[in-house]
Amino acid sequence: MEPNSKRRKTAEPDGASSWEVQPVLSEQESQGIRLMPVYAAPVLDKKETCRLVKEVSAVYPLSDYPHLKRIRACLSVGSPHPLEIILCLASLNGEQAGLRSLTELFPSGQVDLCGLGKPFLAQVPACAPLTRPQYEEAVLHWPVSFHENKRITQALKGCLFSPLEKAAMQNHMELAIHTAQQGARQGMEPVGAAVVDPATGRVLAVGHDCRGGSNPLLHAAMVCIDLVAHSHGGGAYSYKDHPACTFLHVDNNAQHPPLGDGLPYICTGYDMYLTREPCMMCAMALVHSRIQRVFYGTPSPHGALGTAHHIHSRRDLNHRYEVFRGILEDQCKRLARLSDHKESG
Amino acid sequence: MEAAKRWRVSAGESEAWMDRAVHMAKDALENGEVPVGCLMVYNNEIVGKGRNEVNETKNATRHAEMVAIDQVLDWCQQHKKKPEEVFTHTVLYVTVEPCIMCAAALRMMKIPLVVYGCQNERFGGCGSVLNISSATLTDTGEPFQCIAGYRSEEAVEMLKTFYRQENPNAPKSKVRKKEFSK
Repeated sequence: MEPNSKRRKTAEPDGASSWEVQPVLSEQESQGIRLMPVYAAPVLDKKETCRLVKEVSAVYPLSDYPHLKRIRACLSVGSPHPLEIILCLASLNGEQAGLRSLTELFPSGQVDLCGLGKPFLAQVPACAPLTRPQYEEAVLHWPVSFHENKRITQALKGCLFSPLEKAAMQNHMELAIHTAQQGARQGMEPVGAAVVDPATGRVLAVGHDCRGGSNPLLHAAMVCIDLVAHSHGGGAYSYKDHPACTFLHVDNNAQHPPLGDGLPYICTGYDMYLTREPCMMCAMALVHSRIQRVFYGTPSPHGALGTAHHIHSRRDLNHRYEVFRGILEDQCKRLARLSDHKESG
Repeated sequence: MEAAKRWRVSAGESEAWMDRAVHMAKDALENGEVPVGCLMVYNNEIVGKGRNEVNETKNATRHAEMVAIDQVLDWCQQHKKKPEEVFTHTVLYVTVEPCIMCAAALRMMKIPLVVYGCQNERFGGCGSVLNISSATLTDTGEPFQCIAGYRSEEAVEMLKTFYRQENPNAPKSKVRKKEFSK
């Protein structure tokens, strides 16, 4: 897989803190913009613009495409006409669009064609842009409106987290890496995870992949979900053979309100740190567990949080969570490579 | 496909096993858990069974299928059999379509055939939300075959009963409120 090369910092001499945190957005937010053909025409007489917009919109309202602006200003100096107007969609029912004359497009005579030039085909963005990169791509084709989500823009610029927060993130990921290494020494897949309550900064559970033992489904995320269950008086597995898998015993003296007995969705409000992107099973387990945020180091070839699927951001599931990648990416990548060697060797 | 031919089960056989799975789902319902029951059958013998244990274990991943998989692993250990050999010859009977998580787990265990009752509109991993059972996921085990519709009305009825009664263990989060307003 090609590493994401944009905004890559040069490695610092000690190689310690040269990482950047990037948001893993939904599928719709991550993809490039899709184009569709429309008929447009030059506005030859600028004074007719207002009337033309009104009359053309009455015949072809384009109400499914509210992001499209009807009029485009032509910036080129030598342009014989200053403005262009979208008339209508060019391919209904997917049929191939050919050129049409004005009288073909407006056969009923509802529009006074005075001031309009010869129609031409233009490619315009089919959907409203959700992110600033999508917006910047979209307006290269045709002007669109954009309701910017400031938080996403900040996240994409890499300034969502303060240096203090980043230091805490690094600590938590170092813990996950360290645990992965301990697991690897037992012959397990070198994957580690940690669960943190961001409200208190407390680490609630640290675990490594245990699939090399008796249960092939004990991936690091599943282990950590169960360790959190243990810390709340539940749990399904014993970790006596894996001393590096630990959880915080929740004491009743904590400032926390007592956790209601039998509260099942025990990861509500928690963060999980994972050295590598989780698989489909683990990503969905985190939906069921109502995790709040996931931070991972390096992508997996078929990962379910950004690579092959976007399980964290599906509107058709009943819970969504935020995902960020790139925390201590180089170290996590080195860990992941360890497992590649093991599998091929 | 070879596997599909080998893993055809008779309708009578399915009815009989599904009957027992429905009983287990009823037991879950009576114990305040999501009413899903399942059996894993190997060589005409039940080697694992499960019902949801989410509330009991405070672990949201303890779905019936995950509980049953653990039992089969235990059974393999007791009978000194290789899990791979057993799971690749085991049929799962479950009252509700496995969710995305369980479908991925079943692939990784290489279960060849799943017989289920009703669809799982919320989380289904065998077509309802995603089609994990037949997807091309090179690092996630093997695809499996599904036969749907056995005792589905009863399975749906139990789910409806469960969701009608307010789950006292569900979190009172914003997300849940939104979900209920649907």
